[in-house]
Amino acid sequence: MSRNSLSIFFLLLALALAGCGNNPHPPLQRQSRDDGSPWQVRYVWYPSEPKSLDPQNGWDSASRVIMEPVYDTLLEYAPWKTEPFEVMPGMLTAMPEKETLADGRVVVTCHLKKGITFHDDPCFPGGKGREVTARDVYYAWQRMSDPKVECPIVSTLGEYVEGLWENFQTAKKNGDALDYAVPLPGVEVVDDYTFRVHLKKAFPQLVYWMAIQFTSPVAREAVEYYDPKKYPDHDNFSFHPVGHGPYAWVKDSYVRGQRIRLVRHPRYLTSTFPTEGWPAERDAVCRQLAGQALPLTDELQILYIKELLPVWLLTKQGYMDRYGVQKEAFNAVVTNTYGLSPVLASRGMKLEKDTEVGTFYALLNMKHPVLGSNKKLRQALSCAYDPARYSEVFYDGVRPISQQLIPPGLAGYRKDFKNPYGYDIERGRRLLAEAGYPGGRGPNGKQLTLTLDFDAARSSERLQAEFIKDCFEALGIKIQIIEDDFARLLQKQETGNYEIAAGSGWQADYPDPENFLMLFYSKNFPPSGKNETFFHNAEFDALYEKMASMDDGPERLALITRMADILADECPIVLNVQKAYYTLIQPWAPRTHANLQMEGGFKYLPLDPVMRAKCIAEWNHPRLWPLWVLGGLVVLAVAYAVWRGRRGDV
Amino acid sequence: MFSYLLRRLLYAVPILLGVLLLTFVLFFATQTPDSLAARVLGPNARAEAKKEWIARRGYDKPLLLNTQSGATLFDSQFCNFIGRLSRFDLGLSDKTGESLNSKFAEGAIPSLCITLPAFLVGLCLSIGFALYQVFVRNSALDRLGTFLCVALMSVPSMVYIIFGQSFLTLALNWFPVSGFSRDGLSGAKFLVMPVLLMIVMRLGSEVRLYRAIFIEEIAQDYIRTARAKGVSNPRLLLTHVLKNGLIALITLLVAQLPMLILGSLLIESFFGIPGLGGMLFNAFQQGDLAVVQAMVFLSSLLYIIGLTLTDILYAAVDPRIRLY
Repeated sequence: MSRNSLSIFFLLLALALAGCGNNPHPPLQRQSRDDGSPWQVRYVWYPSEPKSLDPQNGWDSASRVIMEPVYDTLLEYAPWKTEPFEVMPGMLTAMPEKETLADGRVVVTCHLKKGITFHDDPCFPGGKGREVTARDVYYAWQRMSDPKVECPIVSTLGEYVEGLWENFQTAKKNGDALDYAVPLPGVEVVDDYTFRVHLKKAFPQLVYWMAIQFTSPVAREAVEYYDPKKYPDHDNFSFHPVGHGPYAWVKDSYVRGQRIRLVRHPRYLTSTFPTEGWPAERDAVCRQLAGQALPLTDELQILYIKELLPVWLLTKQGYMDRYGVQKEAFNAVVTNTYGLSPVLASRGMKLEKDTEVGTFYALLNMKHPVLGSNKKLRQALSCAYDPARYSEVFYDGVRPISQQLIPPGLAGYRKDFKNPYGYDIERGRRLLAEAGYPGGRGPNGKQLTLTLDFDAARSSERLQAEFIKDCFEALGIKIQIIEDDFARLLQKQETGNYEIAAGSGWQADYPDPENFLMLFYSKNFPPSGKNETFFHNAEFDALYEKMASMDDGPERLALITRMADILADECPIVLNVQKAYYTLIQPWAPRTHANLQMEGGFKYLPLDPVMRAKCIAEWNHPRLWPLWVLGGLVVLAVAYAVWRGRRGDV
Repeated sequence: MFSYLLRRLLYAVPILLGVLLLTFVLFFATQTPDSLAARVLGPNARAEAKKEWIARRGYDKPLLLNTQSGATLFDSQFCNFIGRLSRFDLGLSDKTGESLNSKFAEGAIPSLCITLPAFLVGLCLSIGFALYQVFVRNSALDRLGTFLCVALMSVPSMVYIIFGQSFLTLALNWFPVSGFSRDGLSGAKFLVMPVLLMIVMRLGSEVRLYRAIFIEEIAQDYIRTARAKGVSNPRLLLTHVLKNGLIALITLLVAQLPMLILGSLLIESFFGIPGLGGMLFNAFQQGDLAVVQAMVFLSSLLYIIGLTLTDILYAAVDPRIRLY
């Protein structure tokens, strides 16, 4: 290769690299809005892909992240009401009106807002989405009883909604074929905008289910149109949602393993940005948005990236609008005093701490002859466990200690409550002696040995199990660790084939303490329920039965407090920590709320695309010096070879 | 030749059956249908939903043979699976319920987008470096090259990936950190970094191997004769040594060709490339038995094809070998 051609090669390479660029996003489909202002795209990351976008079927959080912007709900979470959480009308004009009949049955009347339309889609005549009516709600609730839809909450709602479970069972007997002509007595269409839900008994949690997509109206035309069995060339309804939410599904926009694009519903009228209610610290952002049409951004792109390092790098480059700080980047983002790193702060970024509505704990098997019958032993184990150190060792001290089963944000959470059997190793040893095992040995001098099951999928979990073992063994007892895989551990927990199970926890399906307390109700033993400690307490059960069907109020709160006290005293679990993490916020994408019961609440989030473009240009100058170094080395190597060849030294 | 091919084809059947049986037994030795359902539907799934899921996927049937009264003997999970595979129907994903035939067809292209250029460019570079080392053999530069090759071989793949993403993408801002695009040339920028890393990961071992092959060739008598006839050093290397060395190389490389379609587990996962390697990686994580079984079947089949091709090619390029 001549010197000239070498130079041309390196020049072309440099030009190619310069043209490459590090922007991972595809070119925008639109550059500007109709009014000429820049088209606003929010880029969000998610680690896993949705399993089903059918609102009556999808339950995993990855699916709900997509369904929340696509399907509005009858009720929705108030963005700033988080202590406690509250729901407010979404597609309904007001909160449902409840009437209790003499025989205990309940009728709930709901009024839909007028003018809400489905997204434009070929399934509708002329491709234009029609108005949502009460018949769409009826159809959606009918679908829940269709075995082919595989609605995961049919048994839960079937216990309350008249005819839902019965229709499901009939369809099962008919080879999973639901006859949609058979009426569902639990939902009555009064007129186009009014429907009534007929309940067998009081069901205060219904309002929370109305804030989840399961109960969202669905267009029958869409379900029938997107049925590949009828129309082989059509998409499947599970991956072609036709909703009525702030963002609409874009055909062929789901590139598996890559991204999903959602675009603003141009006729979205369901809600506007609230004019009041935000906390003082968000006033500067929220005040200027008050009353604005929603959604605040035009397009939402959800990127699927499984590995955590690339997400951090993309955030640092400005290509991601928000980042939940992971272990990989913790030291680069968060300082020793839990502040934002000065480098990132100088870029205008902000840091916020989020705590999820859930509690982590270890299960103690109440069916076990030693653990189940010896309250003081369980109390001693609880006293031996040091959640503060656990949080420090494994989560840099970010995760707060759980002092009680019910997490913050739920009625019944007591801010100043301290776990009566919180970490105190000396007290633990005393309790162990009172339990009949002084120094960890029984009356006959026999060493007390307990097994600790855990999910050994990752090495970090093995370390966590070792940590728990060390805590308990400080009492003088012996802990034998048993490694399981995730599924095996679940199976053991369901069959009660364990003594202590580490790494358990509960994340709120809905923000009602009933959702946590049901975990200890004796009629909820597995496999039909989730009482995996097999806790059985007559007083607790009686209180639970009373509380579950009561509306919120001081009387219910008193019952919840008593139940929480019973659990704190009985120690069927060893409380650990709550899930918390830091979120890094880019200067162009300020947060308006931090409501974790929403799956993002994207419609309330603003964006400044001009500032983003400026920052990205500033933060991403390509550096070409390594190319010249590489080129120099190649030239030297060639020169050496030529010199050696001329010398005949080969 | 024909009888040899027929025999290889017949051998392939028991090998494939054996591999599938082994995978099947291993999977069900550690998993129960109930645990599979729990893994797919999540820890909070109710018993009813899990039962439904198991029945829909056919995991409620006996494992190997159906000896229940009134049932067909071969109406079992394994026999149904083999029956489907014989029709080249790979089934449905446990996790998403999608057709694996179409998923694999979709995933093969992104995998090939990185493995094929990495293979071809890597091959050219490795041969080039190996020839260069042979050219400057026994010099300090040759020793430096050998040292660098051993160093490249010693570095774990993860280090290359982290270095590539953190340095080349973040510090130098040359390429996107992660992603993939099917939009023709504009998508090429996503491939540069993974292809580059795949080349570097294999460069050390391949240059060492090719150098050894070429050094062996250069010691042959015909090279001495060519030298005596006054053939120049570059021509000697590029024409005689390379040509004859390629015979050994081709047989090594052809076996790898069919496997390129399966992609790379780590690279695809880290660079967000929706190929078959990433798909298998996810299937392991999510316990998607259907995907794992189908991938094992596909890998075994491709491996057998690769080995058969190698045998045929070996006979084609080396007249001393006959296939019976």
